Formats: sequence, structure tokens, C-alpha cells
Amino acid sequence: MSDTIHPSWHATYQQVGIAPVLAQLPYRNLAELTHECCKKWQSESKAKAAFSCVVPNGMNGRLSFAEVDELSDAFAGYLRAVVGLRPGDRVAVQLPNSLGYPVAALGVFKAGCVLVNTNPLYTETEMIHQFNNSGSQVLVLVDMFADKLPAVLAKTGIKQVVLASVPEFFPAVPGAIVKGVQKYWNRVLPAVTSPHIRLKDALAAGRATLAKTPAKQYWQAVGRDDLALLQYTGGTTGVSKGAMLTHGNLLNNICQTHAMGASHMKPGEECVLTALPLYHIFAFTANLLGYMTIGGHNVLIPNPRPVQNLQRAVENYPITWMTGVNTLFNGLLNEEWFVAYPPKTLKASISGGTSLHTAVAQRWRDVTKTPIAEGYGLTETSPVVSFNPLTGTPRDGSIGIPAPGTDVRLTNDDGHDVPPGTPGEIWVRGPQVMRGYWQTDEETAKVMHDGWFATGDIAVMDEAGFMRIVDRKKDMILVSGFNVYPNEVEDVIADMDHVLEVAVIGVPDAKTGEAVRAYVVQNPDHSKEVMPADVLEHCRKHLAAYKVPKLVVVRDELPKSPIGKVLRKDLRKAVADEMNRA
Amino acid sequence: MISEFETKLLGIMMIVIMLGMGASLTWRDFLIAFRKPKGVLVGLLCQYGIMPLLAFLLARALDLSPGLTVGLILMGCMPGGTTSNIFTYFSKAVLALSIMMTSVSSLIALGMVPALLEFYSQLAGLTGEFKIPAGNVAQVLFVLLVPTIIGMVLRKLNPNIGASIELLGGMLGVAVILFLVFTWIPRNHMLLASTPWYVFFAAIGLGVFGIALGYFLARVLKQDPNRSRTIALETGIQNGPLAVLIVTLTFTGEMQQEVLLIPVLYSLFIVITSSIVTVFFRRQSTEEALARDRMKDGALVAGK
Repeated sequence: MSDTIHPSWHATYQQVGIAPVLAQLPYRNLAELTHECCKKWQSESKAKAAFSCVVPNGMNGRLSFAEVDELSDAFAGYLRAVVGLRPGDRVAVQLPNSLGYPVAALGVFKAGCVLVNTNPLYTETEMIHQFNNSGSQVLVLVDMFADKLPAVLAKTGIKQVVLASVPEFFPAVPGAIVKGVQKYWNRVLPAVTSPHIRLKDALAAGRATLAKTPAKQYWQAVGRDDLALLQYTGGTTGVSKGAMLTHGNLLNNICQTHAMGASHMKPGEECVLTALPLYHIFAFTANLLGYMTIGGHNVLIPNPRPVQNLQRAVENYPITWMTGVNTLFNGLLNEEWFVAYPPKTLKASISGGTSLHTAVAQRWRDVTKTPIAEGYGLTETSPVVSFNPLTGTPRDGSIGIPAPGTDVRLTNDDGHDVPPGTPGEIWVRGPQVMRGYWQTDEETAKVMHDGWFATGDIAVMDEAGFMRIVDRKKDMILVSGFNVYPNEVEDVIADMDHVLEVAVIGVPDAKTGEAVRAYVVQNPDHSKEVMPADVLEHCRKHLAAYKVPKLVVVRDELPKSPIGKVLRKDLRKAVADEMNRA
Repeated sequence: MISEFETKLLGIMMIVIMLGMGASLTWRDFLIAFRKPKGVLVGLLCQYGIMPLLAFLLARALDLSPGLTVGLILMGCMPGGTTSNIFTYFSKAVLALSIMMTSVSSLIALGMVPALLEFYSQLAGLTGEFKIPAGNVAQVLFVLLVPTIIGMVLRKLNPNIGASIELLGGMLGVAVILFLVFTWIPRNHMLLASTPWYVFFAAIGLGVFGIALGYFLARVLKQDPNRSRTIALETGIQNGPLAVLIVTLTFTGEMQQEVLLIPVLYSLFIVITSSIVTVFFRRQSTEEALARDRMKDGALVAGK
């Protein structure tokens, strides 16, 4: 295996004005980052708040930088002095975007403990697996899902449950109204039968211990190489594994995301719309940590679906930045209130998680008159690996150049570099690459090779260092021996105006081994109906014959992951189930 | 009879209700609604086209006395009531359209209601003391426009206060009807007992036929079933408390008693009618959603 570093993109850095050497934050760990940034920005930031949480009717609560610092200290005190956790113990946080989130997550860092981000929509089985696998001792859970506790607590080592609500830290009247609506109108607040403490009470208890032991003592000794976060992944591939991300991984990746956005960011003056869930690594690093670091205001949306839930937040806050995924941007572009009055304060947007369709990117620029660029990353890389510069000519369909400080190679199945212009698997080495998977050396060995992380994504790189994802290794379709990359077919179909969304998968086929199948969703704003025959005709015009779907299915919606990634595996499973039944 | 104190209380409640209605939306919502105005226009046509005409025809067909006719026509000319939004929510219909229709019909009521009232009063041959002066109605509506606009401004300045007032207004809408039930019925049960069937028929029929006609007209004008259900509820549900307020401000004594009868009966029965319709509409909505799901499964099977 060669250790060649492709220098090609270093010239590109110069052209677009990105420093090739990665900047460093002067902090030893994320607790120090939190403490120092909150202290600095409390007086220097233009934003009146560090975090706001906005529910669909516009009701909101907010926390200043000073409050975030004080409350996370109190939570650290609670975890260490009241519950009795030791350094490195795991704390699961299972909350939707809400003000309790930063308090709990940053409090875990300040306690010198390890955060386990957990999807609130997980089933009992998934929760049990994740808590047992991580050895979580404390669970911070949103009260909406407290009915899962009896089953989960019986089978895990969770010894303390802390319940937080969506309107946590809201002013009294709006808070009571949101809770009342949740309880009596939507009926989403179950009765809690398991032993627990409310976040407010936990904070009060923790605060009382700080006089004796200030929170600083808990994180003084935590270093960059210490574990900060277990971020579970595998939702789209198989059994969930915990990627071990260190304080150093995340601190470096904050700088790497800032290298991407620096041209359009002014510390102390940004307001970011955080519609993606914070328990996902993208929003966790880019929004929560990234914008707190530069004194930005995070506007948290507890539930971005339907996308209309974002309307009041977009109207009421001077949003300057957005992070999102293709489905979110596409969703907004299909909302009349957004297209008619796109936020005037917006400076730029970053797309990640899944590929940003060219048609969506172009329309976004037309509508908002601001740049949008795609970044690429994975849970295992904290997440950013590469990005498109926001300046210069947009290169839609590209995932950009490696972030400063990152080495990238494209390899063949034997782990050798492929010739330029040839598809190969992306291997990454850099300060953001995880230490490995938690307690599974076997899985770690499959993806880590001499410090290089094998992503499973296949890409081609051009002379300037720009990469284009061809596909997931696993999603590739083999039609009579020809490789068909679903992304390419999806891009072609997504160009049709009356198609809202599309997903392409391979299905077993007696004649060709595998056959291409496309699922399309009608764009409700278009009167013209999507007809499979039209889609096929369009594909025949733009694709080689073997890439044209054998079948086009019109559906009402596509299965999606929590952040809105289209789940091809679910479609494949549905087909497999059908075939088994037949 | 409604005492002066009760009239004042009713007036204050109306102001809070309108404050809440104003707080339910922003200026931008209006601008957006009128970019694709068809839904709102169809709704307005149902609201101000069907209802006054229906009231007039009912009065004619039942050969009502001038006092009852005035009450019925006034009821028909009213803008949409805020309670329609609650029923729309429970029907799983289009809440945004409902809020928009209520607001738009209330805002243009200032010009629309006096004009319609004038027109149908003439047509019904109402004269002299039975005629509600258009100026009075305009005045009341204008006064109510102020809290509506204050509500919108509050919503803009502080979303927390705005959204709280919106909720308070919605709840007061129901409270006013309860208020009528508890203050008016006990003192007037004799009157109710002696009220002939056709008065009940007119009061209930205005709501029932309004909902039915609203639905069919919306369907004819190519609105989908769910939007049509929204428009139907919006059409049938009038702002009853506003009519009661106008009557109490315009008439006194025996005459007030007579004119008030239909608006009060309407306000009481529309809650019952709407509840029944909501159960039915909700079932329809659910069935349609299920049918869509089945189609999805069908597509998967067919796609095999």
C-alpha cells in the first residue's frame, strides 16, 4: 500500500483562497471549548442568544451563551457529584432538537464523560442494543417517549433517567401551552411510570454541588486523544456500531467545516437554521459545535416534518446560514412561502448526508440568490471529509476537494491506488478519522487499514482534486456484467420537472442478474402526472440502454432515514419480501 | 333579553377573539395566499355567495316574520367564525386554508357585510325599524378590525405572546357560545318551548345546507375533496357571536328578543351540526389516506 498524498487539490486551495494548513483551536477538549467560547461570545456576539428552539406556531425559548455555560456546568455537577459517574462513563442523550440538547450534551463533555447520541425515534429493541453496547449508565430522554422506559430499563444498565421536554427552558406561559397541546391535543405525552428525575431538578441538584467542586475540575485532565462521543452508525448498512470520536477529532473537524464556510462567515454575526437533528453527526459538529465556536445563534427546529414547520422560524429569525440534506432543500423549494419570500439575510447553505441533486442546487441558487455547496462526510470522520468551496464556479454533482489536513486516496478492491479518472473507493486519513468502532475490533479491522479509513464510497477524482461520488459500493447494480450507478440514473430522472423525488435500486432478474428499477414521486405542484412511460422515454434519451430502468414505479413517498436520506435498502427489502411471498 | 353588562362582556370577548384571529397569521401569509388565490376565492364565493342567498331563500320559503328574517339574513351575511378552524383541525382538513378564509372573510367584511345586508334586506322587503343601518354594522366591523391588526402586529413583535393570544382567542370562541347557553337559555326556556318548528328549521338549516352547498360548489370548482371539506365547514360556520353583538347593539326590548332568536339558535346548533359533520369528514379523510396507502402497496405488487 502506498502512502502517496495527492497534492492536486493543494493548488485548488490557493485558487479558492483556502489555507492548506489546518487551523487549530487553542483548546484541550470540548468542555474547554464550550466554557471559553460561551464566556467570549456572551459579551461579543451580536446574537442575543446562543440557542433558540422554535415550534411550528412560532412559540420559542432561548438560552444565552452565559446560560449555556452555567447550565452545562450544573449538568456536569449532577452527573459526577450526584449520580456518581466517573471520567469516561457513557451518557446517552436521546432528544429531538430542543434547548435541553446543548445543555445535556455539553454537560456530558464538562463531566469528562462520553456522549452517546441516540435517535429519539428508536424502537425499544434499538435502544436496548445501543445502551448495552455502549454501556450507558445515564439516559437523558425526551418525555414524549418515556413509555419505552419500562421495557428498556429492565434490559439495560441504565441507572438514572433524566427527562427533558421539547419546550424545556421556554418562558412559563408558552412552555405550559406547548406542553398542554402535546398532552391533551396531540396526546404524545405518556404517563411516566419509571423512576426518573426532571432535567430542571437534576440541574438544581448539580448546581448545588458546584460550590464544593467546580465543573472545571471534572474536565481539566481530559485531553485531545480522549474519547468524547460514541456516534452510532450502520443504520443504512447493517448492525449499528459506535464510532469512537475523540475530543481531538471533533475539534479538528470544527476547523475543517470552518475552512469550508469561512468566506461567508463572520464570527459573532451568524444565525444558523438547525433543522437537521443534532443527534446526527452532521448537525452535531457543523451546527451545535461549529456555530457555538464562532458565537453564532443556533435556531433549533424540533421536528422539520412537514417542512412547513420551518415557516415561522424562517420568518422570525435573521437566518444567515442553513445546513441541510437534498430532501430538505428540495422540500423548501416546493413550499410557496419559502419560494415567494426566501430569507433575505441568507448568505450560504451547505448540503450533506446524501448527494445534492444538480437540479435542486441550481434552483436553490435561483430562488435564494446565495451559494449552496455539497460537502461529503461520514459518521466515522466526524463527519467532514471533503467539500466544494462556496466561492468560484459551482461544481454540482461533485463532493469537492478534501478538507485541509485530510489525505484522500482512491483505491481498487486490493487496496491499491487507481489511475486518475478511474472510479475507486475513497480512503481517508486525517485528524478527524475515528479511533475505531467501540468494542468491535473485527468491524474496525474491516475499515481501518494502516490509519486509512475505507469509506465504502466509490468516486472519481479530476486533476484539480475534485471528487465525484459514483456510488456506494453496496448500491451498485450489476446488469449483465455492466456497472450501473443508481445516482447517475436518479440524477437523470430528477431533471424531470414533475418528478419530486426518485430512488433507483437493483432487483434480482432472471435474465440480466440484476435489473434497474426506479421509484418516482409525483411533484404535487405540477399538474402533469408522472407516467412511467414518460420516465422511460426520458431515460432512453439520456442514458445508455443498459442503465435505463426496466421498471418505473410511481409512489406517494419514499422511505427515508431520520435526516431525510432516501433508504434504498428499504426499497430493496420490500422487493425481496414481495418475491419471497410470491 | 341580554343585559347591558352582558352586551359589554360580549363586546370585550369579541375583541379578544379578533385579537386572537389577527395573531393567527402574518401579513406575509395573506400575500402568499393571494399569489394562488383560487382556493381563497372559491371559499369567499361560498361564504358571501351561498350563505346570504340561502338565508334569504329560507326566510322566503318559511315565510318568516320581519324580525326573524332580519336575524336570519344577518346570520347569513356574517363572515366565517373562528371555531371553524377547530373543526377543520379535527376533520383532518386543510387548517391553513381555514385560517386564511376566516381571516380574509373577516377583513373584507367591512365592505361586504353592509352591502350584502342592504341588498338582501331590500329584496326581503324589510323597512323602517327592521332594517339594520349599514353604518352601524360597518362601525362594529371597523372597531373589530383594530384588534385584528393589533393581533397581527403582536404576532410579528413577539411570537410567544402572539401564539398565546391566538390560543386564548380560539378558546374564547367556544366560551362565548357556552356563555350564551348559560345566560340566555335559562331565562328564555319559555320562549324556546313556544318557538315554532320552522324557526328551528331555519336556524339549523342555514348551517346544514351551507355546509352541503359549500362542499358541492367547491367540488364543482375543482377543489380536491379535502379542500372542499375545509371550504364546506368554513361556509357553514358563521361568526355567530358577532351577529349577536350587532343585534344587541342595534335593537332593544321585545324586538331584540325576536331578532336575536335565530342568531342565538344558530350559534347553539352549529356546534352540534359541525361536530356531527366533523366525525363524518374525519372518517372520509382517513379513508382517503388509507386508499392512497393501498394504492402504494398495489403499485409495489404490480411493479413486481
